[in-house]
Amino acid sequence: MSKKPTAQPVIHKVIMVGSGGVGKSALTLQFMYDEFVEDYEPTKADSYRKKILLDGEDVQIDILDTAGQEDYAAIRDNYFRSGEGFLCIFSITEDESFQATQEFREQILRVKNDENIPFLLVGNKCDLEDKRKVTFQEASDRAKQWGVPYVETSAKTREHVDKVFYDLMREIRARKMDENKTSNGRGKDKSKKKKRLCKIL
Amino acid sequence: MAPPPIVSGLSPNEGPPGTRIKIRGENFGSQPSDLIGLTICGVDCLLTAEWKSPNKIIAISGTGKGKGEVIVTTKYGGTGTCNVTFKGYHLTTIGPMKESAVWVEETPLFSWGRHSLSPTSFQQEDPLGLSIEETENKISEDFLINHFPGKCGDITSTNFSPGWFLLENHQNTSFNDLSAGLVHLRRKVQGQKEGQLSFLKANIGSVMDQVDTLVNIWEKYDSDLPKLGNEPTLKLEKAIKESEREARKLFDEVLSRKDRAEKTRNALNVLQRFKFLFCLPCVIERNIRKGEYDIVINDYMRVKNLFHKTDVPIFKDALNEIEKRIEELQKKLHHDLQTMPITVEQQKRLIRYLINLDSPYDAAWDAIKSRSDYINKKFKTIYKYHKSTEKVEMDKKKSSASKFAFNNSQIIEMNTVPSCVNFVDEICATVSEIFPDLWKIGQSYFSGELKVKVEAGRQVEYKHMVMNVIETFCKYIKASIIPNTLDKADRNQFGTLTTPERDEIAHYLPELLRSVRSTYATLIRLDLPNEALDIVGNLLLDLRIHCMSILFQQTTEQIKQLSENWQIQYNGKYMGVTELPIKFLQLVEDVIQIVKESALSCEQRESPLLEKPIAQKELEKQVDCILSAFHGILNNLSSSEDLEDGEDSSPVVSQLIGTPASSQKTGSAKQNIPIWEHRLLIILSNCMFTKNTILDIILTKFKESGFLSVDACITNTKTKLDNLERTILDKYLEQKSDPLVGTIEPSMYLGRFDWDMTVVPTDIRPYAKECINNLINVHSEVTGISSALLDNVLTRIVETIAEELYRLMSCVQKFSKQGAQQARTDIQALQEFFKEYTSDAAKGHFAEALNVVPQLETSEKALVEDVLRQCKGRMRIQLMCLRKT
Repeated sequence: MSKKPTAQPVIHKVIMVGSGGVGKSALTLQFMYDEFVEDYEPTKADSYRKKILLDGEDVQIDILDTAGQEDYAAIRDNYFRSGEGFLCIFSITEDESFQATQEFREQILRVKNDENIPFLLVGNKCDLEDKRKVTFQEASDRAKQWGVPYVETSAKTREHVDKVFYDLMREIRARKMDENKTSNGRGKDKSKKKKRLCKIL
Repeated sequence: MAPPPIVSGLSPNEGPPGTRIKIRGENFGSQPSDLIGLTICGVDCLLTAEWKSPNKIIAISGTGKGKGEVIVTTKYGGTGTCNVTFKGYHLTTIGPMKESAVWVEETPLFSWGRHSLSPTSFQQEDPLGLSIEETENKISEDFLINHFPGKCGDITSTNFSPGWFLLENHQNTSFNDLSAGLVHLRRKVQGQKEGQLSFLKANIGSVMDQVDTLVNIWEKYDSDLPKLGNEPTLKLEKAIKESEREARKLFDEVLSRKDRAEKTRNALNVLQRFKFLFCLPCVIERNIRKGEYDIVINDYMRVKNLFHKTDVPIFKDALNEIEKRIEELQKKLHHDLQTMPITVEQQKRLIRYLINLDSPYDAAWDAIKSRSDYINKKFKTIYKYHKSTEKVEMDKKKSSASKFAFNNSQIIEMNTVPSCVNFVDEICATVSEIFPDLWKIGQSYFSGELKVKVEAGRQVEYKHMVMNVIETFCKYIKASIIPNTLDKADRNQFGTLTTPERDEIAHYLPELLRSVRSTYATLIRLDLPNEALDIVGNLLLDLRIHCMSILFQQTTEQIKQLSENWQIQYNGKYMGVTELPIKFLQLVEDVIQIVKESALSCEQRESPLLEKPIAQKELEKQVDCILSAFHGILNNLSSSEDLEDGEDSSPVVSQLIGTPASSQKTGSAKQNIPIWEHRLLIILSNCMFTKNTILDIILTKFKESGFLSVDACITNTKTKLDNLERTILDKYLEQKSDPLVGTIEPSMYLGRFDWDMTVVPTDIRPYAKECINNLINVHSEVTGISSALLDNVLTRIVETIAEELYRLMSCVQKFSKQGAQQARTDIQALQEFFKEYTSDAAKGHFAEALNVVPQLETSEKALVEDVLRQCKGRMRIQLMCLRKT
């Protein structure tokens, strides 16, 4: 009964990754329910799903908010497999979290085995400018290096919160359309892949 | 209708049972009460759900397993939908050693290892390759068991019986089909055999590998043999056993702990469930202290109903504890019940409590007994108290008597009420007050109001008790007031309160009678049996007679003490009498009134007093006493000439020398006591007055008051008074006429007078005048007291005068003519003067005297007539004195 209406719109599966305490859940909750949760409560794994209008199209976004803590690193592989797009989040006030993004990136690529997986590097807590440890340049350099967009957000002020989710979804949608095309003609897909690979390399 | 709730977020999205989940979404209602349903993976978790906001609920997951939805139901939005899934899983580590917030079904967890190995849903294919029949009428299992004992149709069993199998599964299959099946089976077996060989051929490589491995193992085993001995698994076995033991130990410990926990929990449960029972002793104690016995009884009944058959030792202990309390309560109540004073209502309530508490006491009977005892004790206390006060009183009296004159002590006595009166008063009040309670409780006992089984013989005993109380009561009263109506034994038993002097008690008797009567009325109102009432009735009768008797006696005494003041009343209703008879009348009237009001009046259940012969006799006796007392007084007065002083005894009757006036003066000087003659006259007057008036008044009064049998007494007294009157009259005459008559002779011959003289009479002789004057004197004296006496007194005197005259005349030796004329004149004059008081005898005497005197001739007679006329004219005043007007 409940499945019928949900089954029709396309579902985009987004996974939130990043170190503990960078604001994954805060971003998610801000996006989902327009609320900012002050108190910190480590997440294990939370699921959210919501119907939204993406460029005039009814879609559903499925967000998997993962645990940032190292304790859960072993089970991340399982999550990552189901993800269609990733928001890799760090806190601009904490350099460690920024460094950890490297590891997350590598793990995702390893699991998905796809260099072009939709992926956004997100620097959170941009409202705390005075406590900034990671410069914009530093972060955007890394994003450029990975070939992904870099966006700075604030879960508290809701700055760029919608933007990161919508941008990622657009990428996922574009990629899905690509795949549909490639399933019709394989050759095209392969050439494209190679092209991109070359570019990055 | 609000939009249905949608769950769009779960944090976390998986977890074992007991995971705290934040459920987010929309339309969860506007307040906690809107949330009416929550299922997680199909398990209802509403109980743990905590509504936070319209988009947030926190709940704890249940035992739901696997992926499932979280469905929220609200009051206005109905059952909602879910976009996300929750994955419930059971950590395999959940077991006896693992802490868990929820109940985990342990059985499948423990047997998981074995279960997974056993072929659970192994579908047996028909070995003959035939389709399985859908037969309706299967051969029953019993039949098969009978035909194939010890066999079965299971193809995998060692007891497999083909017959059974065929009958069971292929009862209707044709023989051809069965033959085909047999061929199929053969081929299958063949194929299997061939298949083994080909399988080996195909896998020769791995077979060789296996052989190699086996060889390797063998070699290894061989090399290990010297090192580990013949039984290399021994150590392992040991280790396994060891670990098994350890595990068991561990497990045992856990089990024992679990057991202990279970026990504790059970105990707690029991305590909780039977809190009522265990708290009851305290509750009972508290309620007892508060006096809420009804609650105690209620609780006790409940407990008894619930637990009296229990075999559980702890319940028994608790019950014992309660029983102990109840027993104490019973004792207390029982004690209260018997503690006097207490009202009947209180007693009844206590009895009801005791009965409800199943007390071993015969509460109602005890209450009755204690009441009876209480009354008896009270009697004794009252008696003792008054006995002691009496002693004090007596001492006082004695000391006062020794100190003061008798009069003074009497005054003191009047002021202090005698103890026996107080005693009777109090005992009456006590009986009126407490006896009804005894009766009432007895009535309710026997009428079954107290819900007690009345034991046989109780009726008699109770009756005895009541009678005893009444009897004791009566005897006490009798002992203290009319001890003479008791036997000696009773008198000894019921004390010796000294009965006070008659005068003293007389005041109180009517009052006492009233007390006893009021008690009697109380008893009558109680509807006591006649037998009991009669006892009191008899007492009352005795008392009434006694009362009457004492009152009369007292009056008698008072009458005896009456004294004459000799003051004659000249005005008012009764003339010529002193106060004495009037006082007497008053006293008698008073006593009649009192007796009528007290003893004679009939109240409830009393017969008219005078119907009793004893009372009648007593009354007559007492009336007689009263009347004779008065008679005695008069008698005393009339005979007590010498009682007065001697001075007064001087002859008062006038000679020609003395005058009564002078002697009266001396009399008045002496305390107004008149002279003897006057006194006699006064007494006489009183006597007559009493006889004629007072006694009649008294008689009427008696009759009016209901004393009907006093005629005889009155008549009796009248006779007595008649006699007395005569005596007094004689005495008076003796006093009066003797000197008067005695003076005639000397006066006649005064101056050597001789009847043989020659002087022509011109007047009557002085002696005759003196005689007339003397009589007038007496006349005045008597009239001064009471003119009613004139006839009696003067007639008698005239008689004696006439007699004397006759005697004197007959003694004359010789009359001259003139002398005869003189004598005739004198005699006729006297005759004329005394005409009014001349009796027949006197007339005779006068006539005889005239006869003695010689007859006169007509001329001589004329002279006599002439002298007489002249004399009458001269002595007109004297004549008028002696005339009756």
